[in-house]
Amino acid sequence: MIKIAQLSCGTEYSSVQYEIEKAARSVGAKVVYPDVSAADVELAVERFGFRPRSAQLKLMIARAVQLADGNYDADAVFITTCFRCAEAALVRNEVRRFIQENTNLPVVTYSFTERLKASQLLTRMEALVTIVTRKELLARERQSGLTVGLDSGSSTTKAVVMLNNKIIGKSWTPSHNVVESATQVLNEALAQAGYEYKDIEAIGTTGYGRFTLGQHFSDKCKLVQEELTVNSKGAVWLADRQRGEATIIDIGGMDNKAITVRDGIPDNFTMGGVCAGASGRFLEMTSKRLKIDVTELGALADKGNWRNAKMNSYCSVFGIQDLVTTLGDGKSFEDVAAAACHSVAEQVYEQQLQEIDVRHPIIQVGGTSLISGLVTQVGEVLGEKPIVPENSQFIGAVGGALLSSGFL
Amino acid sequence: MRETRLLMICPTSRLTPDVLAREIHATGKDVKIKETCYGCLIEGEREVVREVTAFAREIDHNAVFSKRRAYKAGDPVRCRAQHGTRPGFAQLESEWEALPLIKAGLDAADNGEKTEEKPGKKKLPAIRFKEICEVK
Amino acid sequence: MKVFIDPPNSLILFDLVERFGNEPLSTMAALQERVDNLEIDMPPMNVTLDDVVKGLKYAGIEVPSGVRGRLSIWGPMIEAADAAIVVEDAPFEFGCVGCERSELMVKYLIKRSGKPALKLKYPEDEDEGKVFVQKVKEFLEGLQ
Repeated sequence: MIKIAQLSCGTEYSSVQYEIEKAARSVGAKVVYPDVSAADVELAVERFGFRPRSAQLKLMIARAVQLADGNYDADAVFITTCFRCAEAALVRNEVRRFIQENTNLPVVTYSFTERLKASQLLTRMEALVTIVTRKELLARERQSGLTVGLDSGSSTTKAVVMLNNKIIGKSWTPSHNVVESATQVLNEALAQAGYEYKDIEAIGTTGYGRFTLGQHFSDKCKLVQEELTVNSKGAVWLADRQRGEATIIDIGGMDNKAITVRDGIPDNFTMGGVCAGASGRFLEMTSKRLKIDVTELGALADKGNWRNAKMNSYCSVFGIQDLVTTLGDGKSFEDVAAAACHSVAEQVYEQQLQEIDVRHPIIQVGGTSLISGLVTQVGEVLGEKPIVPENSQFIGAVGGALLSSGFL
Repeated sequence: MRETRLLMICPTSRLTPDVLAREIHATGKDVKIKETCYGCLIEGEREVVREVTAFAREIDHNAVFSKRRAYKAGDPVRCRAQHGTRPGFAQLESEWEALPLIKAGLDAADNGEKTEEKPGKKKLPAIRFKEICEVK
Repeated sequence: MKVFIDPPNSLILFDLVERFGNEPLSTMAALQERVDNLEIDMPPMNVTLDDVVKGLKYAGIEVPSGVRGRLSIWGPMIEAADAAIVVEDAPFEFGCVGCERSELMVKYLIKRSGKPALKLKYPEDEDEGKVFVQKVKEFLEGLQ
C-alpha cells in the first residue's frame, strides 16, 4: 500500500478531507499524517525559518521536517491548503520546495475550495502513485527504438512515431470515434515515417480515450497513462528542459492546463474548462466574426496593440460584441485581434494561474501555442515570453512515445 | 445519546491511566473504557458518562481533567495507529503540559487562597530607549 | 449558563467551566452532531458542504473555505452562549483552532455580541495559574 503523507491546512473545515481520502483509496494508496509532538513544532518552525501565525501551518512545517529527517516513512507527499489564503499559499509553496530539496519523495500540491473538483484530485493522486511506482520510467530522458505515442484528446487525436530520440512521423485529426481517429493518425504518421504497424516496438496511450486505445492496440501497447505525467515529459523533452523547474501552459480549445514541473516530474497542475472566454474557443469565435481563419489571427494580433481596442467584458458573448463594436469605431483588425489574444491570456492568468506558483521558464504547448499573438500576450501578462517548442501541439503523443520506449 | 470523553491525568499526579481505568471499571457503571497515554477515554449514555466523570475527578482531587470528544472511541477516522496523529493531538499534548498550573489554581481556590495578579511588562517608551542608547 | 470557550477545543477551559457548574459550548459537541448524523451518506470530516456554505453568513465568498467552515460551527455557538471565556495568547492552538484568521474573527464575534466575556492571559507559572483559575471561578459565579 502506497502511503501518501498529507501536509495540509483547512481540509477538515472545508468538507474536503473525506474526498481526499476517497481519491487516495481509489488509486490504491492511503493518506497518513507524519507524527509530530507539540515540542517538535517550535523547533521545526525555527529551523525552517518561516513563522506563520496559524498553528496548523506550523504543524504542516513540522510534519515536513519529520519527513525530511526520515523520521516518518511515506512514499509520496500531498500538500494542500485553502484557496485564497495568502498565508497558506506562501507556506504551501515553500514546504513543497523544502520537501523537494530534502527528500526524494514526489510531491503534488493543491489549493481547494469547498467545491473541490473530484476528478482533478483523482488525477493528482493517480499521478503521485505513478511517480512512486514508475520512478525509473519517468526518469527517462531519451527515447529509444521505434515507438508510437497516441494522444486521444477531447478535441483532437494525435500520433507521433519516434525512432532513437527523433520524431520521424506525426499526424493529427479532430477527434470523432476514438479508435477510428487514432487508427487514421497512426497510419498517416507511420506512412510519413516509412514504417508499418508490425515494425512498432511499443505504443503509449494518453488522453481521455487512453483506456479504449490501450485495449484496441493491446498487442503493442505498453503504457496507458494519465496526461499529467505524460504531457510533462513530452513538454520538457520538446523544449529540451529536462532538468530544473518549469511551467507548462496548454490553452486548449475547450479547457486549459497549467502544470508545474521539476526535473520533468509534475508537482502541481490546474485545469479549467467552464469559461469559453479563457480558452481557444474565444479566439475561434473572434476569427469567425472577423471572417478570417484562426491560423491567421496570431500574425494579425502581433501587428496590433490591444490597448487600442478596449473590452468591457471578457465573456465570449459580450466581449466579442465589444470587439465588433470597436471595429465599427474604425479601429484596426490588428488591434482587435491583439485585444482578443490579450483577453484570453489575462483570463487564463486570472482564473487559473493564480492557483499554482508560476515557475520559469514557461513552456507553452498545445494547438493554441501556434497562434503567435496569444503566446505574445501570455508573455506580456506573465512578464516573460514563453518558449514554444517545435511540435508543441504533440506533447502528449511525444510523452507517450518517449515513456513507452522504457518498456523495451 | 452517546457521549465520549477524554479523561486526562495531570502529569504531576501519581495516578496512572491503568489505575484510573480500573477504578472506573470497579464502579460497575455501563461505560466503555479505553486507556490512553494520558488517561483514558470513556463512552456511554450521556448521564452515565457525566456521573463517571464526576467520580473520576475525585479519584485524585483536582488532578483529573475532562473534555468531550466528537468521534467515537477507537473510530478509525481518528485513530492514531491507523494513519499517524491528527492535528488535535498536539493541542492536547500542549494542554496536558499546562495542567499542573491549573491544578495549583484549583487547589488554591479550594483553600480560599487569593493571589494578586502581577502587572504585565510594558514596552519601553521610545524616549527612554533613546536615552539608554545615547549613554556614552 | 452556557459559556463559549476560546480556544473552542480547549481541554482546560472545557473542564473548568463544567467543574464550576456551567455548560461549556464546545466544538467537540457540535462536531459530534455531524459525525453521528446517519442521514448523511458520507460521514463528514469534520463539517459538511452545507456548513461551509452557511459560513457565508459570517464571511464573504472571497474568504477561504476553511475559515467559513469553522465560523459555521462557532458563529451559532457564540449566538447561543450567555457568556464567553477567551484565552488571548494560548500557546496551544492546533486542530480546529489552527487558523489564525478564524480565531481573529471569533474574538471579534464575541466582542460584537456584547455578551459578558472574560479575557485571560495564559499562565506561565504557578501564581499565574492561581490567578487564571480564580478569575474563571469569579467570572462564572458572577454570571449566576
